[in-house]
Amino acid sequence: MWKTTVKGLMAHKLRLVLTALAVVLGVGFIAGTYVLTDTINKTFDQLFADTTQGIDVFVRSETAFESQSGSGTGDREAIPEDVLETVREVEGVETAAGSVSGYAQIVDKEGEAIAPQGPPTLGFGSPDDESAINEDSAVRLRDGRVPSTPDEVMIDAATAEDYDFSVGDSVDILFEGPKRTFEIVGIIGFGDADNLAGATLSVFELEAAQELFNKEGSLDAVEVTAADGVSAGELRNRIAAVIPDGIEAETGTAIADEQSESLQEALGFFNTALLVFGFISLFVGAFIIFNTFSIVVAQRTREFGLLRAMGASGRQILGSVLVESVIVGFLASLVGLAAGFGIAAGLQAVLRAFGLDLPSTGLVFQTRTAVIGLAVGVLVTLFSAIGPARRASRISPMAALRKSSPQQSTFSRRRMIIGVAVTLVGAAILSAGLFGSFDNAVSYVGFGAAIIFFGVTALSPLFAGPLARAIGAPIQALLNIPGKLARQNSLRNPKRTASTAAALMIGLALVSMVSIFGASLKASSSKILDENLKADFILTTSTGGGFTGFSPEVAEGVAEQDEIGAVASLRYGEFRIDGATKFLTATDPDTIEDVTSLGVTEGDVADLNNGGVFLSSEVAESEGLAVGDDLTMEFPSEGDTDVPVVGTFETTDIVGSDFLVSLDSYSERYTTNLDTMVLATVAGGASTDAARDAIGAATSEFPNVTVENQAEFKETQAGLVDQLLGLVTALLALALIIALLGITNTLALSVFERTRELGLLRAVGMSRRQARSMIRWESVIIAVIGAVLGLVVGGFFGWALVTSLADEGISEFALPGGQLIAYVVAAGVAGVIAAIPPARRAARLNVLEAIATE
Amino acid sequence: MQSATEEAVPRSVRRVASRAVDVAKVYGVGSTAVRALDGVDMEFEESKFTAIMGPSGSGKSTLLHCLAGLDQVTSGKIYLGDVDVTSLTEKHRTLLRRDKVGFIFQSFNLIPSLTAKENITLPMDLARRKPDAEWLNGLLDIVGLKDRLHHHPSELSGGEQQRVAAARALASQPAIVFADEPTGNLDSKRGGEMLAFMRRAVKEFGQTIIMVTHDPIAASYSDQVVFLADGKIVDLMEGPTVDKVLDRMKTLES
Repeated sequence: MWKTTVKGLMAHKLRLVLTALAVVLGVGFIAGTYVLTDTINKTFDQLFADTTQGIDVFVRSETAFESQSGSGTGDREAIPEDVLETVREVEGVETAAGSVSGYAQIVDKEGEAIAPQGPPTLGFGSPDDESAINEDSAVRLRDGRVPSTPDEVMIDAATAEDYDFSVGDSVDILFEGPKRTFEIVGIIGFGDADNLAGATLSVFELEAAQELFNKEGSLDAVEVTAADGVSAGELRNRIAAVIPDGIEAETGTAIADEQSESLQEALGFFNTALLVFGFISLFVGAFIIFNTFSIVVAQRTREFGLLRAMGASGRQILGSVLVESVIVGFLASLVGLAAGFGIAAGLQAVLRAFGLDLPSTGLVFQTRTAVIGLAVGVLVTLFSAIGPARRASRISPMAALRKSSPQQSTFSRRRMIIGVAVTLVGAAILSAGLFGSFDNAVSYVGFGAAIIFFGVTALSPLFAGPLARAIGAPIQALLNIPGKLARQNSLRNPKRTASTAAALMIGLALVSMVSIFGASLKASSSKILDENLKADFILTTSTGGGFTGFSPEVAEGVAEQDEIGAVASLRYGEFRIDGATKFLTATDPDTIEDVTSLGVTEGDVADLNNGGVFLSSEVAESEGLAVGDDLTMEFPSEGDTDVPVVGTFETTDIVGSDFLVSLDSYSERYTTNLDTMVLATVAGGASTDAARDAIGAATSEFPNVTVENQAEFKETQAGLVDQLLGLVTALLALALIIALLGITNTLALSVFERTRELGLLRAVGMSRRQARSMIRWESVIIAVIGAVLGLVVGGFFGWALVTSLADEGISEFALPGGQLIAYVVAAGVAGVIAAIPPARRAARLNVLEAIATE
Repeated sequence: MQSATEEAVPRSVRRVASRAVDVAKVYGVGSTAVRALDGVDMEFEESKFTAIMGPSGSGKSTLLHCLAGLDQVTSGKIYLGDVDVTSLTEKHRTLLRRDKVGFIFQSFNLIPSLTAKENITLPMDLARRKPDAEWLNGLLDIVGLKDRLHHHPSELSGGEQQRVAAARALASQPAIVFADEPTGNLDSKRGGEMLAFMRRAVKEFGQTIIMVTHDPIAASYSDQVVFLADGKIVDLMEGPTVDKVLDRMKTLES
């Protein structure tokens, strides 16, 4: 039996390749995801090891928790400068250098602020001792020297190269305070890297840095090297014994570990998000595999019958088909693992195109990647082949003697009942995930969606007929016989047509759900802005991720203008409640209600000036708090703090969080004071244009600030949504490609099955062109069926998703009609492309051989 | 079985429907080469029913395929009317088949997804040509399938299927009809009906038919029998009868 299986496989290489492709792509994507995240991980590990290289002990202030928002400048309190002296006196300390860091954004030669997407823009104080920068240290001088006056700076080699800076140039740099001009005296690298994981860096003289970062007389950390014969651990203990409370000493290795741990946490999410797309691809692939095996089993009916007649048992037939699937799955997974490297590189390119530039060294391939890839690939293939294999095992020996007839399928009542039941169960699980309050709601949603796909697939032969008739009608009218045959062929086996279309349905359902979600998001946010935002101008920064922002001097400068009425800035901070990370918004309590409505339900915003916090009504209710109660908030700097609740408000959408505090309380608790957004109104009597000019003048020193009116701001917000949707759609493209491969596959097998028929058609005068067109239009019909079903299912998903998020500010349900129609058209075009190989095969058919085929 | 009309028209005046000029067909190369056709020269006149006979492997099916433009010759020329089929491209041969040639195969003559009527008009539909309604009607009367027109092939008996195939071959009023063992899968009664119909098409409509068969009874319906052996034409028999054909075949096979 084994020999027959292997021989059978080799005899049908095309079939093997087509089946395998779906697995190859799915496994490739999963392997690629692991390779990518492992690579990023390793890159950062290396980087952290580099940056702490040569430093045995770090001394810094304690923190309640590590900030995750990644502003990079840290939310630890500064430590008094005299700690440096204390440390230097510890026995076994070779060198001890103070360091300070903060926000410093370099302005390029065109006057634009350099804003990496994601990584921060950092400034450091240079060690006062030039010998600290040597071959062993993390920071290495590539060119020039260290700064010796407050007007000198070193910048990282990557920024220098990208923006054409060299030693001797002057450069503008933005701070929390006013913009300053420096002379570049040195270019630095980090170990072998040109910069620190994409962050831009500027290094100042230590004292100058202390002043620039508002840290006069204090330091962020003391970096210590140990004398010969003293271990880092030993030195850490000695230092820890002498430094004051609230300050800690850690070894350099511990710091590096801590950094990579927090990175791994962040990457874990990223990894999971990408894996989801990999599994979607494999899920779609499973349909293709199922389909291929079904068709192949049907075509081999006589062969299996003959084997049965010769004494093979049903079990042996079952085993044979399953072994075939395992071989296919294994080989395809192997190829998929190899493809993973290419896909990792491709993913990097996709992410880069969407502004997520990740540093990388050589690609990292771990055993775990191979194990998961192979296991998933083989299991999915095996699982998909079980149904067809069981059918093969039930073929009677008589089948060998009967003349093979093109199999007709019937749609049973049982199938319909099961299909409806499965769909409903799926919808119930999905709804439970969306509307219920479970811990892992996302898994419920995903699981429910998968079950709905199965249910709809089971039902789809029911729709495939009418849809094929409807879609085929104009094609038939246009093309006469080839169109008619295309339509009839797609109707011939509705189950086959339906399950081929189902693969595309899944991809399109997800894509259309995403676009419905996006359109609803845009419509909702536009409505929220219309209803609540009173500000005429919105100032934001072009800097990408994180909570970096721009100098508070921007808001001050704008407020001084006569043409400007009220000005309120918004700042964000991270804190925890019972260990769960939350974000708060800090703003000016006196002006915030002039620039946006807050929907205050209790209290007076002005009370925030005396400390305290405003809670959204929703949080107040869920936490069981009212005005007068205390909320325990855990800040990075001071740990658990009881903050009095002074009021509640409804409209969280503009301020962006459920917790509102004053700017003053913010400054007390966070070391970085950058505004993320400034809202301003035009003064009564002033013209909008004059106000805009005034803002322009007030912000001329800050090229990192973008000024927008409401319409422009809306457009920018919509653009951000579109960008995210674009990324998700690009990642779903793989599932769509696999679905198209499925169409190619089914048609290729159908062409093979209909060899004689095609031969006859060609003999009685069908031209090659007509033969191609017949296959092409059959493909288009299948693709459009998939698209239409996908839109229906996706429409439901989108509606359910948007409805479930009504509380989160997505109040509007919007159908992007044009986009959805474009998807159907695109599916049709894709159908034409998918049909190219089978259509060629059909057209190239040798008429005589075809007629002679049994 | 010479008919009066044929007697009235002198042989030299009758036009040639199909002509093979020194046709050779070689499969394979070198020592394994097989000469399926080896210098075949033959003219097939219009309005004549010709049967091609010969032992298996004599090249009779190959000759039919080459005459019909389904297969290409190794050397020599094939003419369909005045057209040199051997010089045509695949595309033009397809068009020629569609417009000028009718086919009846031994089995699998019909497209399963099309009805009997649709199968009959298939070549004309492919050409986007309207069938001559009167002709088609008359044809269907003769074939006797009027009540089965909207059935699919799977709902028709073997005999009915072959009659539909014959109707399709004649529907576009082709210059010539090629039939490859058209009665091979039918019992003698249905086979006889089929052959009588073909005979009638020749007599009444002046249709030209070339038929490959190994059955002396089928051959006896024709006007002339061409005997083929080892890729060469070895004999020509006018007005065949079952016995005459049987005798000739016996000598050929021995």
